[in-house]
Order: sequence, then structure tokens, then C-alpha cells
Amino acid sequence: MLQRLLSTQGPATSLRGILRVLLAAGLVAGRVAAEGPFQLPKEEIRIKEGAGAEQLKSNCLLCHSSEYITTQPVLTRAQWTATVEKMRAKYGAPLVTNSVPVILDYLTRNYGKESPPKR
Amino acid sequence: MSGAVRLGAAVIAGGTLARSRASGESVVLPFENGERELVAYPQKRPLIRLTTRPPQLETPFAVFGEGIVTPNDAFFVRYHLTNSPPAHETLTEGAFRLRVQGQVSTPLTLSVADLRSQFETTEVLAVNQCSGNSRGFFKPRVPGGQLGHGAMGNAKWRGVRLADVLKKAGIAAGARQVLFNGLDTPLIVTTPDFIKALDVDQALDPDLLLAFEMNGEPLPWLNGFPLRLVVPGHYGTYWVKHLNEITVVDSEFKGFWMKPAYRIPDDPCAHIEPGTTPRRTVPISRYNVRSFITSHATGGRIPAGATTLIRGIAFDGGQQIREVVVSDDGGRSWKEATLEADLGRYSFRGWSFPYRPGQAGPRTLIARATNRLGQSQPLEPLWNPSGYMRNCVEPVTLDAV
Repeated sequence: MLQRLLSTQGPATSLRGILRVLLAAGLVAGRVAAEGPFQLPKEEIRIKEGAGAEQLKSNCLLCHSSEYITTQPVLTRAQWTATVEKMRAKYGAPLVTNSVPVILDYLTRNYGKESPPKR
Repeated sequence: MSGAVRLGAAVIAGGTLARSRASGESVVLPFENGERELVAYPQKRPLIRLTTRPPQLETPFAVFGEGIVTPNDAFFVRYHLTNSPPAHETLTEGAFRLRVQGQVSTPLTLSVADLRSQFETTEVLAVNQCSGNSRGFFKPRVPGGQLGHGAMGNAKWRGVRLADVLKKAGIAAGARQVLFNGLDTPLIVTTPDFIKALDVDQALDPDLLLAFEMNGEPLPWLNGFPLRLVVPGHYGTYWVKHLNEITVVDSEFKGFWMKPAYRIPDDPCAHIEPGTTPRRTVPISRYNVRSFITSHATGGRIPAGATTLIRGIAFDGGQQIREVVVSDDGGRSWKEATLEADLGRYSFRGWSFPYRPGQAGPRTLIARATNRLGQSQPLEPLWNPSGYMRNCVEPVTLDAV
């Protein structure tokens, strides 16, 4: 499934294999830049620990680094829900369906707040 | 297309909160959750890092006070897709080719050397500003890249006219839009590739360049080496980096990055009531009018009994700045600043204002620019749900002593 989703214009098969293994292990990879001066600083995951953190790493952090989450202002549950839905529907994120509620709880608890009750 | 994923066990940093810091220095942007690291990237001095993958870097605001041209090593960086920037080895003269294709009579494949030798070279001093520059200041806050004012820069772009290349390829009758795609790619095939569209008549505007130099040097890797589109007066979203594919089409492009992304309320000021949803949207296009005080920052001190030269910058979408005025009483009275040399209608325009506070105490200065159409800056911020196009006056509070 994942192999099929990975861009055919992207990595060699062996690299895709590595990615599969990393994902299966719940790890998220950074990147190895080219040799020489054109090397990017390495990526570090800096998110709060807690229930849902692993699901967030293996879903959200596949395509982007953790600052996409940690630099946001305090978003309401409704705003986080809309954001995750945008990632799925518009950006084609292959989110594991039963991970989504866990991720939303994690984001609301650690980087957000409950939505105000509707009047 | 290249853009290898570049994975490896050596760079895994899962599990725990990493403690090592790339440079150890950080800054705090003046809004909630504004802590950012300063990190040096290839060809860059330490810049304010918003995100690591893909890289997004912001220029420390003090740089704008050091000169009207933004140095390459301080110029901001903004990417959308995971595989960004493309591996440098795919961008060399031997490897990189621009293809011009689609509804054209003669499809072209061109190296950068071909562009230099086959077309007239020209240059423009022009501001590149991110659509979401200053998003972090929106109230109420909106999701998205939480930028201060540093996702903008002014550089001399050198290249060939897009119009000349399109004319050589020969645009077919009935063509409607021109699409621009670069070598940055998504990780997952279901993620839309970053492709932008311009109408044919806009693409034939002689001001648009295929640029290979920035401030007299080849484009930095992180600013689009070896070729990027330059659309003076228009938001940076159109300035496609690592540009390797120009496709002329006979229909209106409906890709994600034109719709629903990068749209603004269809309203003269691109704003709506906070918390509401726009009824109709249009693609973002030209810059609105902005100005900044760059010689002094909030918290600075100036002598109460002597004259201090306050300096700053102003720009707009190419209509040209006509006037900058300064107020120290919240906009009740204004005094005219002196405009510095006119470096072209797409450039930052420098201005200066001799200011003598008279009495000790805090002084809040605001600058407001107006362009030749009479368009200016609101005193209060306007709001839209994407956090685009902030252009209200930006107060600086100094302590007169």
C-alpha cells in the first residue's frame, strides 16, 4: 500500500524499502543530503510525549517535520480537526483511519484547546 | 523529475525530545508561541527557522535596516513539498533542462547556458514576498506558517524574458494558461505537485523573467537554483523555484495550488469579518501597499532632545510608492518622510524621517505609505482565514531619553 503511494519519481526501490521498515517500526526518517557543501541540517523530532504521540509520528511526520505542529498557535479541537482533514482530503495523506481520533485528542491536549460550546 | 527521498538510518531521531541545537541561538517573534531557532543552512547565514522538512527560513528583521537589497545569504526560504530542495546534483548545468511544452508549435528543451546564449538577458530589482508574510500577527490567529515580517526580500534578478521563450516556442491559438512546475516533489503521489498557473496574456508580460542570477550570483540552492520564475509585484507563490517545466494549456488549470490553495476573499481589501468564511475567492495576485520602520525596533532608545533619523522601506505591487508619512500620535497628525532613490517600481523604496521627540517618554511611531493609485495602508489590521496580505501600519515604540 505505502509503496504504491510513494512517488514513482522519488527514491530507488531500496530506499522505499528502508522507508517501509522505518514506518513499520514507528520511526520517521529525516533525510540524507548530498555529499559536500549542499547538506541540510538534520531533522529532529521535538514533540510532547503522551498518548497519541506515536500515531502522530508515523502519520503526520511522514511528510513534514514536527515544527509544522509545534509552531502553531493554540488551535481549537475544531481547527485541528479541520487541519487533519485538510491533510487527508487535500494533501492526500494516507492517514491510518483509527489513528485519527487518537491524533486529534493528542493535538487538542498538547497543542490546542477544546472548542467553545456552540450557542 | 528527481527529488530522491534521501532517507537513512543515520538521521533517525525518533522517540525522544532531541536536545542538541543546530546553532544554540534562538529568537522570539512577538506573538504567542513565537520562539524560533537561528540555524545556518547551505549558502545561508543563521536564519529564523520555521520548519525543517521542507525547509522554511525567515530573514531576521534587522537585515532590512542594513540595506535596500537583501543579501542572498539572508534571503528567506519557503518550500511546500517534502522533497525540497531537489538534490543539488540534479540541478547542475549537465543535468538540468527546462522543457517548454503543451500547446506550442515548437517544444523546447533548454539548458541554462542555452537560455543565456539564445535570448536577451535583462534584470529587475524586485521584492519577493510570501503570501503569508506576517501571518503570526493575525488576530484572531489562523493556522498556517507562523511568520513574522521576514518572509520578504528585495533582490536584483537576472535572466531572460519568459515572453521571449514562449514566443520562440510559439503559443498555439486558443491557449489559455501557462503552467509552471519545478523539481521539488511530494513524498506521496497523492499529494498535489506544486504547479502554478498564469493566464497567457500575463505570462507574456515582458516584466516576467526566467531568472538564473540573484544579486550578481547564481541563485542560491534554497532560492531556486538554477532557474526560477520571477513575477515582479506578485506574491512569491508564483515565483516557482527549480523551474524545469513550462506547459501551455487550452483550459483553466484547476490544480490544488491554484484552487483551493492561495485564494483570497473576492473583495477589494481581501478581508472579511474574523471567524467568517468568504463567499467567493480569487487567486492571490499583486502585493498590497506596505511600509516598515527598519532603522529602529520596539524597545530601542532615542535621545529626547536631539534629532534621530528614522529610516524605513515601502513597496507595493508595482504601481510605485508616491508618499510615506509618519505619525507619533496614533495617526491624528502625519508628517511627510523623504523618499530615497527610486530603484524601480518593483523594489523596496527607502525613506527617512528626522525625528525629535522633544520630551522624554515612550513614543510610538507609525509609517504609512501610499502608491500612485492612492492605495494605502489601514491603521487597523484586516483579517482573512488564510492569513494572507497583512498590510496595516506596523507601530514601533521607542523610549525617548
